[in-house]
Amino acid sequence: MRSRESELVTAHRTTPEAGAPIIKTGGLYKHYGNIRALEDVDLDVQPGVTGLIGANGAGKTTLIRLVLGLIRPTYGQISVFGTPVAEDPAGLRERIGYMPENKCLPLDQTAADFVAYAAELGGIPPVEARRRASETLFLVGLHEERFRYLGDFSTGMQQRVKLAQSIVHDPELVLLDEPASGLDPAGRDQMLALIARFREFGMNVLFSSHILDDIERTCDWVVMLDAGRLIHSAPLDPPGEGDRLSVEVYGDPGPLVDALTRQGVSVTVDGAVVTVVTRSEDAFAVMRDALESSGSSVRRLGTSLSRLEDVLVAAAREANG
Amino acid sequence: MADARETSRDQATIVDRGYRHYDGTRTGSRGAVRAIVREGFRRVMGFRRKAKRKLLPWTLIVVALASVVILVAITWATSQTPVEELTELVPRYRGYFDFISVVALLFAAYAGAQLLIPDRTDGVLNVYFSRPLALRHYLIGKVLAFATVILSFWLMPQLLLHLGLAALSREGFLSYLGRTTDILWQVPLAALAYFVLHASLSFLTASFINRVGAAAAAFLIGSLGLNLVALFAQEAADDTPGSRWAALLATEQHPRYVRDWIFGVHESVEWIPAQAGFGPGVSLAVIVGLAVVSAALVGWRYRRLT
Repeated sequence: MRSRESELVTAHRTTPEAGAPIIKTGGLYKHYGNIRALEDVDLDVQPGVTGLIGANGAGKTTLIRLVLGLIRPTYGQISVFGTPVAEDPAGLRERIGYMPENKCLPLDQTAADFVAYAAELGGIPPVEARRRASETLFLVGLHEERFRYLGDFSTGMQQRVKLAQSIVHDPELVLLDEPASGLDPAGRDQMLALIARFREFGMNVLFSSHILDDIERTCDWVVMLDAGRLIHSAPLDPPGEGDRLSVEVYGDPGPLVDALTRQGVSVTVDGAVVTVVTRSEDAFAVMRDALESSGSSVRRLGTSLSRLEDVLVAAAREANG
Repeated sequence: MADARETSRDQATIVDRGYRHYDGTRTGSRGAVRAIVREGFRRVMGFRRKAKRKLLPWTLIVVALASVVILVAITWATSQTPVEELTELVPRYRGYFDFISVVALLFAAYAGAQLLIPDRTDGVLNVYFSRPLALRHYLIGKVLAFATVILSFWLMPQLLLHLGLAALSREGFLSYLGRTTDILWQVPLAALAYFVLHASLSFLTASFINRVGAAAAAFLIGSLGLNLVALFAQEAADDTPGSRWAALLATEQHPRYVRDWIFGVHESVEWIPAQAGFGPGVSLAVIVGLAVVSAALVGWRYRRLT
C-alpha cells in the first residue's frame, strides 16, 4: 500500500546543472501511419526562452506533446530536466505548464475557479490553489475580472486565462503553443511582455509560433522545424551585433565585391545589391573605403539589422539543398 | 484624522507582486482525483455556475424530496383511518425506488452527460492531461463524482423517509429505528445496483455523443426503449427456442429485480427477466457485465481521444 508520504511529495524545484539542456532529444522520430511528423530530431533546448518556429504541420505540436509525454516517440529518446520522459511522464508534468493553441476553457466556469482547478490538478492543495489562482490572475491583469464567467471574456482575456493556468502550479518549464494567436496588436504586445517576464520568474519557456517578430522580441534561442526536420537551432543575436549595410551600385558590382573581400568582411551579392555584414568593424567605414578603392557609383545605400527571417530562409534553403 | 488619511494616500504605491514560487507539498495523482470528484459534483449540481445551470438538477432533487414528503403525508393520513391495511399499501423503502424511478433516470442521464461531454467539447482535456493525471485517474474521478451525486440522490430522500416513518411510528421513534436496521444495508445496496447500471449506460452514451441533450436522450431512449424491445421480442417469439434471452435486454428492470432480491421479495414475477425464467443472480450478472463492457468501451474511446 502506498504511504501518505509517497502521496504527498515535497517541492520539486531543483537547481539545474549549469549548461544542462532543459529538453534533449536524440534521433527522435514520430510517425502517424505514413505521416512523418518528426524525422531524426537531435535537439538541445537551453534554459531561457526558446522560440519554436515552423509552418503548420512542421511538427511543433507533436514535439510539445512528446515533451509532455502525451505521446510516445516512434524511435529515439527525449528527456526533460535530464529525466527520460518515458520514465516518469506524470512526475515531469508536475514541473511543466502547457498553454494549448486551441480552445481549452470551460465557458461556464469563472476564471478563478478554472485556474484554481488547474492548480489542484497540478498537485497544489485546494486552499493554496485558490490563493495562487488569485495571484496568477492578478499577474496576467485579470484580478478584477476573476469572478466573471469565461464565456463572457474577450479573446484576449481568454488567452490570458490560458496563460495563467499554465503557470499557476509553479512549473519550471512552460510550453506555449501560439500564445498570441487571435490577439489584436495591443493584446499581442501585452502577451509578449508577460511572456518575457517569465525569465525573471525563473521559468524556462518553449514558445511555439509562426510569427517571427514575436520570437525575435521574446526569445533567447530559436529552433526551426520544417516538415518534421530540425533545420536550425541557435541563439538569437542581440539586435545591433549583426549590423549590415547594403549598397546598390550602378553597373558591375564586381570591383566593389573584390574590394570588400580584400578587407576580409562577409559579402553577399544579389544582382546589383552588395551587402556587407560586420560584427566588430564599422560597416560604414568598410563600405566607404571599398567604394573609394573600386570607384563604384552608389545608387542606393541603407542599413538593416540582421533579421531572423534571413537566417531562417538561409537555413531552409540549405536544408532543402 | 483626515490629514492622516491624505498622507497615507499620498504615500500609497502600486506594488508589482511578481510571481510567488510554491515550495509546499504536492498532492500527486490522488489530489488530482479528489479535485475531479469535487469539480464534477459542482458541475452536476450547478454550483458556481449561472442560475439556469442549477434549474434542472435542483428541480429533480426537489421532486425527489417532495415525493418523500408526499409518502410520509399519505402514511400519516392512512394511519388516521380505521383501516390499518391502507398504511401497508403506501410505498416505503423498496417502493420508493419505483416511485421516483423516472426522475432518477432523468437525473442519471443529466449527470453522466454533464460529467463527460463539456470537458471534450470545451477542449479542456488538453489542459487536464498536461498535468500529472493519467487517463485512468481522470475516469476514476468521473465515476466517483457520478457515484457521489447519484447515491446522494437515492439515499438522502430515503434517509428523510426513514426519519419521517420513524416519527409517525406508533411504537416510538427509537423503537422503530431499532426494529428496521435491515434497511441500513438494504437501501444502500439496492442504490448501488441502480448506480452501477446507470453509470454504465450513461457514461457509454456520453462518451460517444458530443451534445449533452442528445446523450441524455439516448440514455433515456436506450433504457426505456430496450424494455419495450425485450417485452415485444419475448411476446412475439414466445415459442422460438432461446427467445427468452431477449428478456435480458430489459436493462432498466435488472436493478429492480436485484433490489427485490436484496429486500427479500421473491415473487417479483412482474419483471421481464423474471417472467422469462431468469433468477435475480442473472440480472446482477447482466449489470456487472454491462459495467465491464462499458468501462472497456469508454476507456477505448478516451484513449483514442487523448
